[in-house]
This record gives sequence, structure tokens and C-alpha cells, in this order.
Amino acid sequence: MTAPTDSEIYDKICELLKPYNPKNHPIEPSSGIMSDLEVDSVAVFDVIMEIEDHYDVSIPMEMVSDIKTVGELVTAVKGLTA
Amino acid sequence: MTKLFDKYAPLQTRVDMMMKMGSDALGVEFDDIISATRGRIGNRDILLAGTNNYLGLTFDEDCRTAAKTAVDDHGTGTTGSRIANGTYSEHVDLEKALAEHFGMPSCVVFTTGYQTNLAAISGLAGDKDVIFMDADAHACIIDGSRLTNASTIRFRHNNPEDLDKRLRRRGEIEGGNALVVIEGLYSMFGDVAPIDEFVDVTHRHGGYLFVDEAHSYGTFGPTGCGLAEAQGVLDKIDFISGTFSKSLASVGGFCASKHPEFEITRKVMRPYMFTASATPANICAARVAVDKIKAGGHLRDNLKDRGEQLHAGLKALEFDLCAEPSPIIAVRRPNEGLAAMEWNWLMDNGVYVNLAVPPGTPQSSSLLRISLSAAHTEADVQVIIDAFAKMKASQGEIMSNMMSKLQAAE
Ligand SMILES: Cc1ncc(COP(=O)(O)O)c(C=O)c1O
Repeated sequence: MTAPTDSEIYDKICELLKPYNPKNHPIEPSSGIMSDLEVDSVAVFDVIMEIEDHYDVSIPMEMVSDIKTVGELVTAVKGLTA
Repeated sequence: MTKLFDKYAPLQTRVDMMMKMGSDALGVEFDDIISATRGRIGNRDILLAGTNNYLGLTFDEDCRTAAKTAVDDHGTGTTGSRIANGTYSEHVDLEKALAEHFGMPSCVVFTTGYQTNLAAISGLAGDKDVIFMDADAHACIIDGSRLTNASTIRFRHNNPEDLDKRLRRRGEIEGGNALVVIEGLYSMFGDVAPIDEFVDVTHRHGGYLFVDEAHSYGTFGPTGCGLAEAQGVLDKIDFISGTFSKSLASVGGFCASKHPEFEITRKVMRPYMFTASATPANICAARVAVDKIKAGGHLRDNLKDRGEQLHAGLKALEFDLCAEPSPIIAVRRPNEGLAAMEWNWLMDNGVYVNLAVPPGTPQSSSLLRISLSAAHTEADVQVIIDAFAKMKASQGEIMSNMMSKLQAAE
């Protein structure tokens, strides 16, 4: 499998975030996952599990605490799938 | 310029909204607690159905006498930590009694259950170890992992196959071990872990299994040891933690291990070393409660019957229940606002349950959470069912009340 591109990862993350964004806040790379999209601190980790399963990677919790925006999450996943 | 508390503005808005619905569900003040099942606010008697007082031992005659005698004999506080002047023969005696109950060589008692998990998890997981925790793990398990430099991976709730997959995905842990952390009975939904299956998966990968039996010690198993005992795998569990604040009817916590080497962690666990030990009254009440638990088959039988009674009653009313019958019965509500209104309505009608909201709940759910006690009678549980029935019948009124309160707030 070839490594996914930034935009592929971004599209996938937007899709996975959808059920956790009931107020349908617009998603942009700069959106704060908790601050703008209002995903609660536990649900964030549920999204992470979905991403881990989709890309078959481990994203440990300590790494997640440094990720604030959708763009930062894309970068982290990119690093793990490269 | 931002001020110190500005970051709490969104939370403040949420709290303000809750307050519009009535009183603060997360800051209830009782004027009196009269028994294991009755409290009083003003001139209103309240049926307590959310206190985790599973065996009702807080008012047990022998537990009370033990606490009173301890105060008379040893004073009101210990004024020191376990590694300074805070270890009395009573602390050691309680550790021995719990170790014996579990059939394990080592047990350490702590000042609270919260601190127990902070201490034990941070004491066990070193820099090179990897913690695997259940997705619905209690806050103190999450916080315990945060006190370590160990990498932490979350697996799907109550799903041993998912743990298996994530252990495999993580691969060999160079220079370290896997520490798998689960609970027995989950505090919010009241669902039970398949501990036996977790034992298999964890040990197949060479890991260690840590089970928090905070809600299941005293309430499950032939001698009340908990769900590992009930599922026949007690001797295979590496670490069992628990609290005194539920079935043991006191304040404090414990961690027992089948590994005698666990004793060494007394010299490294910061939430053990740098806080005062539990008071003599707390320790002596818990010590008597251990014996009551061992001999408490009749209490567990009543607790089980009451759980089944309540579950059946609420199910007949078509409430959405989160799990099978257990001492914890959680009713899922459509949203936080309505759950808060209903919580207030139940209080006004003399029944105290817990309002549980995200992020303290799984699946961002809003719950009316009930915990039962062996001290509840069949008639008490009927009162709870009747209150929920009346609440359901008053749904229209509760809703319109909520709307007018929200409009008034704008
Ligand atoms: C699963 C679990 N572990 C630990 C604790 C903490 O216990 P304590 O009240 O003794 O701090 C609780 C209780 O709130 C709990 O639900």
C-alpha cells in the first residue's frame, strides 16, 4: 500500500469526525478539535481509535494531548503512515 | 488581555444552563443523611438511589462501633503519610485481611480509591512499558497513566478481540511490558467486563492484567471478592484495585497483587508516599466491613433481586437502559437539558439519583444513573419505579417547563 497523501488523510479525518460534530461546525485544517468542533475530551479518543483502525497505526494518548487542530492531526497521521 | 478564568467561559455557560433547569446536580447539599437509604433536604425526605452504598454498611452497627472506638483509641487523624508516622497496626491489619480475602501475598491500602489508581498505575508502568486501557476507563485510571512516561493505548470498551488487535499492532515492547487496565463493573453504564477473556488475551501477549473492582468488590462473587472471583479467574489476575468508598462503607482504597514484588512500589508510589494515610476511623470501619462482605451472601442476594426488580420495572416503562441488571442501572436520556430537568423533577419528588453527563460518560451520553443498595427494600425500589413512571407521564409538562426556562434565559 502506498502512503496516503495529506489531502487523502484530511478527507478521511473529516469523514470520521462527522458523527462527532452534531452541530455541523465547518471543518477546516485550523479548526480546534475540542475548542471549535466541540468534540468532548473522551470522544476525541474515540475518533483516534477510528483513525488507528483505518490506517493500522498506533496513536498513543500522550501524542494526542499535543494535537489541538485537525491540521495537526493530519500531520501526526502522515508521520505514522509515511 | 485574557484573564485566568476566561478559559472556563464555555463551561460556565453550560453550568448556567443547568442552573436554569433547577439546582446544581453536581453540587447537591444534604442537610442530613439519616440512613443508608434516606436523606433530608429542608423538610423533604429523600430516597437515596445514587450513593454507591452497595451493601448499606455505612450504618451497620459493628462498622460504626469500630469507627467510634478507633477515634477514642487512636485519635481523629494520622497527621502523616504511610512512609512517615502514618502506618498504624490497623493499616497493616487491614492490608493482611484484604490480601487474605484475595488469596494474594501483597496488598497496599491508600487514602482514597482515586489515589490508589494514581499510585499503582504510576508505580507499575515505567518509561519503556506500554499501558493498554479500556476506552471507558475511570478518570483515575486515565490520570494514573498521565503520571507515567509510559506510552498509553486505548482499546474498544469491553472488547478483548480489539485489545488483541492493538497489542499485536503495537508489536514487541522492547525493554518493557504491557500493562492492561480494565474495570470489573463499569461505573456509568453498569456493564460487566469479560475478565476471563481479558486474562487470556493479556497473558497470551505476555502482559500483566490490572482490574479495578471499585464497584464490584463486595457486590459479586461467592465471598464478595468481585467479578474476577465470580468468573473463576481470581488467581490469574496480576493486580486488583478497589475503594473503601462503596461496599466497604468508608473512605480509602487498596491494591492487591499475586506478585510479592509489588511491595517494592511502596518506595516509589508518590500518591502513597506524599499524602496523609487514611484515618483510624476509616481503616477500622473498613476492616469490619471486610468480614461483613465475606459473610454477606444474603446482602448480595437482596442486591441482585433489587437490581432485577428495578431493571424489569424501568424496562416495562420503555426506558432506554444501558446494560443488563446489576447494582448500577443507567437510564439514557436524549440530551443534557432534559436529563437535568428530570433530575430536578425526581429530587422534587423525593428520589435522589445521579445526573451523569459528558465527558464523564461513555458515548457522550446523558444519564440518570441509579445505584442500588442491599439496604433498599422491595418497597423502596417500587418507589423509584413509580417516580420514573410519574416522570414519564409528566413528560409534556417537564418539556414545556424546560422551554419556558430556556426562553426566560434568553
Ligand atoms: C472505577 C472507579 N475507580 C476508582 C474510584 C475512586 O474511588 P474513591 O471514591 O475511593 O476515590 C471510583 C469512584 O468514584 C470508580 O468509579
